[in-house]
Amino acid sequence: MIYRETGNFVTNYFKDREIFPLKFDKVVVILGLLYLFLYVPTTSEYFLSAHVIPILAVGLATVGLNILTGLTGQLSLGTAGFMCVGAFGTYNLMLRVPDALMSLPFALLLSGIFAGLVGVIFGLPAIRIKGFYLLVSTLAAQYFVWWFFNSYAWFLNYESSGVVAIAPKFYDYWGLGNFLGVDMQGYPARYLLALVICIGLSYFAKNLLRSNTGRNFMSVRDRDIAASVMGISVPKAKLLAFFISCFYCGVAGGIYSFLYIGNVDLMIYEVDRSFTILFMLIIGGLGSISGSWLGAIFVYEFPIIFTWVGDFIFQGAFNTAVVENVSNMVYGVFIIALLIREPGGFAALWATTKQKLRMWPYPH
Amino acid sequence: MDWVYLIEVLVGGLMSGVMYSLVAIGFVLIYKSSGIFNFAQGTMLLFASLTFVKMTENGIDFWTSLFIAAGIMVIFGVVTERYVIRPLANQDLLALFMATVGLATFQEGFSQFIWDSDVHGLQMSKFLDIGLLDPAPIFMSDHVPWLDILIPKFDIFASLVAGSLIVVLAFFFQKTKTGLSLRAVSDDHMAAMAVGIPLQTVWAVVWAVTGIIALVAGLLWAERVSVSFTLIEAVMKALPVILIGGLTSIPGAIVGGLVIGVGEKLGEIYLADVFGGQGIELWFAYFMALMFLVFRPQGMFGEKLIERV
Amino acid sequence: MSDILKVENVTLQFGGVKAITDISFNVKEGEICAVIGPNGAGKSSMLNVINGVYLPQIGTVTYDGVERQSINPRDAAIAGMARTFQNIALFQGMNVLENIMTGRNLFMKSTWLEQGLNIGRAREEERVNRLAVEKVIKFLQIESIRKTPVSKLPYGLQKRVELGRALVAEPKILLLDEPMAGMNLEEKADMSCFILEINKEQGITTVMIEHDMGVVMDISDHVVVLDYGKKIGDGSPSEVMANQDVIDAYLGVSH
Repeated sequence: MIYRETGNFVTNYFKDREIFPLKFDKVVVILGLLYLFLYVPTTSEYFLSAHVIPILAVGLATVGLNILTGLTGQLSLGTAGFMCVGAFGTYNLMLRVPDALMSLPFALLLSGIFAGLVGVIFGLPAIRIKGFYLLVSTLAAQYFVWWFFNSYAWFLNYESSGVVAIAPKFYDYWGLGNFLGVDMQGYPARYLLALVICIGLSYFAKNLLRSNTGRNFMSVRDRDIAASVMGISVPKAKLLAFFISCFYCGVAGGIYSFLYIGNVDLMIYEVDRSFTILFMLIIGGLGSISGSWLGAIFVYEFPIIFTWVGDFIFQGAFNTAVVENVSNMVYGVFIIALLIREPGGFAALWATTKQKLRMWPYPH
Repeated sequence: MDWVYLIEVLVGGLMSGVMYSLVAIGFVLIYKSSGIFNFAQGTMLLFASLTFVKMTENGIDFWTSLFIAAGIMVIFGVVTERYVIRPLANQDLLALFMATVGLATFQEGFSQFIWDSDVHGLQMSKFLDIGLLDPAPIFMSDHVPWLDILIPKFDIFASLVAGSLIVVLAFFFQKTKTGLSLRAVSDDHMAAMAVGIPLQTVWAVVWAVTGIIALVAGLLWAERVSVSFTLIEAVMKALPVILIGGLTSIPGAIVGGLVIGVGEKLGEIYLADVFGGQGIELWFAYFMALMFLVFRPQGMFGEKLIERV
Repeated sequence: MSDILKVENVTLQFGGVKAITDISFNVKEGEICAVIGPNGAGKSSMLNVINGVYLPQIGTVTYDGVERQSINPRDAAIAGMARTFQNIALFQGMNVLENIMTGRNLFMKSTWLEQGLNIGRAREEERVNRLAVEKVIKFLQIESIRKTPVSKLPYGLQKRVELGRALVAEPKILLLDEPMAGMNLEEKADMSCFILEINKEQGITTVMIEHDMGVVMDISDHVVVLDYGKKIGDGSPSEVMANQDVIDAYLGVSH
């Protein structure tokens, strides 16, 4: 069997910290990256625009929420609000800052920082307020951000319809498109930008998880009084978690608007989106980066697959209302079932499967 | 300063506060007896009232429908306790909360799947021949000459219902043996089991009762905003209420409701100009709760969270 | 040897309940001081006052030459105090290695950015601190469980891990709250050896709350006895055991 730990000896602490210790895993990851970078961009526009790119966006937001709720234990229902800040921030930066100084990737990251700062402001109450009471702060953020951008039309450039379509020129990064002869507004280019950002930020998150900062976050989650007794600054950890998490959500919002939908629209960032991402987080498994991605794929794809099943097998018996209701029922059941059987979510199920594979054909 | 107008606004706020507190009471009941933050409270409202409305629309009379709906809520409560709460009893509260989020999602889908997603109006005065349910408002000026405001009779009815509910529940918790068991369970359910309190029965009772409260609250809310999934938004508004009042206090839920109800109305009228936009009530309630909690992290009447090391 | 810790006239009240009434005692640098007394005597509270978790109404604690009425637990940690807790305060979501690594957080100077990128200073720090942690792991003989989630460990091992977490911070003074509670004879023997060795080899002053008289007599240099929040004995183990008040307190003579 290829999938074995034998022969895998750790000779120094660096090796012990590798993300993919097994040779098999390393090979899979490299092949996976090649697939993602070389093959996927050549797939159909439909596939990219309706499946891959949106999953990249919501998956990134899930990773962000994971850092706040999964790692640091700060419950948040304001995810969509922070995504909104990112989307609006990106739009306004691209619109108002001279082209020579601003381009899309840069705007995405900068607006992420805005989102992060907004997160810190709404995270301040977390220093005093604990547990479920903290929901108030993140919900306040969600509603306030929505109201704010709704009330001050300047942010939408006074667009009366309330929705702004993103101009094609926003997609070119300092003429790179012209230079390479590539249509930067095309889906392959959009996809690659989103992919690079998501892979980079996921890698960062994974490192963070295993680092001192990550351990500090988890100690705040598990037992904050003990953490402070050990010298960890609990307020600082909480605020940092808010900053990083909301940064991720902001960037995800920018990706969602710019690289997926192509519109900046408040309707996208309402409270039910925050819930959807929370579902992705819970189903995927709190505290696991790969889990966040698995959860995102599942929650996003399920209604689509279900509709397809309806069209294919039952000749279009499922209308949108039915799909939505059944999806909600499925999410609910999955969340409860996972919490009962496998609190670590899909990530834990996957880890257990891999563990069994390592042992196969022995049971233990 | 138009005093009469101010009073009208205040009264309106109080009434809407009562509505919020009806939802909040259900939350508090469950939290008080199990420490679980029941996110499914709103969807329970929806499910209960939707069930009731579908029955009455199909010709079943008021009291039978009410009875059946209540019965269904009781069954739902027992089933929830058995299949959702009990298996998770040894996990931490965050997990239980997430389970209620899952429950809420499931219930939202299920209610609309079983019945439908349409909006259903509800007018209880069609069923009950009680003067108070008559949609016509009371002209307060008939009773107090200078008080030229209108108070919908329905709001008075709702307040009475809420008030009686509080009294009954408060009595229940303080004076009865079951109430005492519930309080013991919420403090420390392992210890409660150790002294022989039948945990599962107690929880089943709590969830069933909460279901019935959800039915009552749902019907009252439905009268105002009709039965549809937007009813769930009532929950979102009730959250700041509970959090201000303190998660463990039933009177707190009432007071919190009144504070939020009045505060919202006042904010909308007087502050909307300052902030240049309507829809301020969306986040104003939350901001009030936030300010409150920063100074009193356990809410007005909530039990102080004491952590021992 | 000088006094590293001086508790002076400390009184601690919770509402109407006086947990500690006018207690004073000194701890010499490098000694093992056992704080004993019947349950509810105020021992844990005393420890909590020393490292700043509780704020006394009256009295001061002089640590390392600095007299303070109160100290922030974080500052106490930075000043070299490390402790364990009566009911084990390990981080249940992490494994043994991670838990003990948290004990090194004050030594980690790299920023979160560096840690997220896993570059340079962050990588090296992780390695260096891992080395320090491994020394302690080896000392406490818990190598085989380093990747085990602490929630899966038996009580006795969890207590050992907690000791490791405190030790790894290279403290000047170790505050142990019932380090041997719930252990059997063998585990107690092991734990006593560890505590002795930590004290003798590394010179770390140890203040420990303990119930087992045998252990107290065997390993401590200095004993302080509390009862109903008051100090009723203070001296060497043999002095204290001969003290009539102490004997009365333990035998339950009403007072």
